[in-house]
Amino acid sequence: MALRLVSRKLGSRFFPMLSFTSQLHSHATSFGFKEVKEEDKSQLVSNVFSSVASNYDLMNDLMSGGLHRLWKDRLVSKLNPFPGMKHLDVAGGTGDVAFRILDTVKSIKYRAIRDPLNDHLLEETHIYVCDINPNMLNVGRKWAIERGYGEDNSLIWVEGNAEKLSFQDQSMDGYTIAFGIRNVTHIEKVLAEAYRVLKRGGRFLCLELSHVEVPVLKDLYDYYSFSVIPALGELVAGDRESYQYLVESIRRFPSQDKFASMIADAGFQKVEYENLVGGVVAIHSGLKF
Amino acid sequence: MYRTAAKRLLSGTTVVKSSDARFRLRNLQTIVTSTGICTSANPQSISNQNPNNQNQIPRTKPNQSDSNASSSPTSSSSSGPTSFTADEARRRHHHHHDERRIPRVKYQDEQARVLHASLRHVLGWSEEAMIAGARDAGVSPAIVGSFPRKDAALVEFFMDECLQKLIDRIDSGEELQNLAPSERISKLVRIRLEMQAPYISKWPQALSIQAHPSNIPTSFKQRAILLDEIWHTAGDEGSDINWYVKRTVVGGIYPTTEIYMLTDSSTDFRDTWSFLDDRVKDAFYFKKTIQEAQYLAEAVGAGMGNSLQGFVKRVFQG
Repeated sequence: MALRLVSRKLGSRFFPMLSFTSQLHSHATSFGFKEVKEEDKSQLVSNVFSSVASNYDLMNDLMSGGLHRLWKDRLVSKLNPFPGMKHLDVAGGTGDVAFRILDTVKSIKYRAIRDPLNDHLLEETHIYVCDINPNMLNVGRKWAIERGYGEDNSLIWVEGNAEKLSFQDQSMDGYTIAFGIRNVTHIEKVLAEAYRVLKRGGRFLCLELSHVEVPVLKDLYDYYSFSVIPALGELVAGDRESYQYLVESIRRFPSQDKFASMIADAGFQKVEYENLVGGVVAIHSGLKF
Repeated sequence: MYRTAAKRLLSGTTVVKSSDARFRLRNLQTIVTSTGICTSANPQSISNQNPNNQNQIPRTKPNQSDSNASSSPTSSSSSGPTSFTADEARRRHHHHHDERRIPRVKYQDEQARVLHASLRHVLGWSEEAMIAGARDAGVSPAIVGSFPRKDAALVEFFMDECLQKLIDRIDSGEELQNLAPSERISKLVRIRLEMQAPYISKWPQALSIQAHPSNIPTSFKQRAILLDEIWHTAGDEGSDINWYVKRTVVGGIYPTTEIYMLTDSSTDFRDTWSFLDDRVKDAFYFKKTIQEAQYLAEAVGAGMGNSLQGFVKRVFQG
């Protein structure tokens, strides 16, 4: 059990950032436990992801014992996708979340809707996958072809920075960021951008490795994170440093409550979060009115 | 039921212990303010009622001493032994009305707007209706995902809407003034059930949603409150039957009629309404029987010891 709790740290994606002094208790200048220059952080994060991209999914499975699949399923079920949706998945390079959303929209449930007027909606569904790292996007494109979505116009791959999205104001119904926001330099900027691109009624959902406060679980989790994960990274991916970073960056990420208040500060309503596996991951959600 | 008990306890305290009452009232107000779902329930108007409610405390007291000989402890809707002037009753009803808002499910205004718009699209109590409603309301259908228990959200919203409409109608209308209690009950049940008429072909689905284990706490509460409302309105006259027994009778009539209505194909549900009238008559005919059962229960209760009885009295009579 303890093993599974672990999380995957991998999941991260990164977002680069611009410079600006962060009031965010040094999130902008922390690279794992190390202090780095703000302007260097995005490059460092980018190196991590370029280095792990090829083994990314394998490592996710290994580190989380496969749980990351369930977590992403949970995220998508909370999102409640619908035909005709315009969705933006940030830091979703490998397409894991995007494929799930597309599968849900195309599922039987929606096909059963009798209204023929809604048929065109399926074609209007667009899922934008935005990632700052082209290596991760390439992995995603490859997966899309393997899964048979190669020809699907619903998936749109965009290289971009979460702090400066290239999308119009009020153009999206949904925004998800899974295992990504931890790696950005300025969390507030990312949240502000999310708020900007969402339509009224649109939802922000964030799946992120978070903080475990349950006593015994916490100890097991710490042991697993600091001893097992880096070793696993070295063994499987031949890259101990990157995984060390992933573990450390989780510890530097704001707590659930703090992050929830940041989301609320960005303007979102009905901000809630749900802890999974005792807080190993948390799903935060907010609604834009 | 437990809710009713708690409520009576609460409001009982308002009247009986005025120092404590103030505090409790304030608590109530806070809750009302924060849960106010209708746009109209702005905090200001609610807090304006605060003085009214507090005034009620001293006013009730003299009244109580004047007339407690003639009053029945069980007839009052929200407080201890009293009989009311018309004014007093209205006042009290308002108080009671405020309380009624408390249990409403919390929705933000936008969400409420979406649900309201969704009611025009009920081909089923489903997500599709809500998505269509969101489009009507001009917000992204993604908002549907923000409803907890989305299957139930629409049904529960509808129940709340209907209850509010019923309360408004009770508050505003003189139509109930001159009716006997039995007529009043059937009138109220009819008013309420007529609100469901446009959705009758899909109402079985709504019932099944309400009966789902995860939705039962809310649907049970909503129904209990509805029955309370009907009974409070119908039963202000002094009467000698235990309040709970009567309420239970109404509790039997309402769902039975609701079910009957599902299969009623007569014009304007004529059969349903005559079925309803008959059931109400039956109930009043059996009043005596119930009374006797109550005496029996009291005898048994006495046998079970004073402590239990004392406790029950405290709880139920404020």
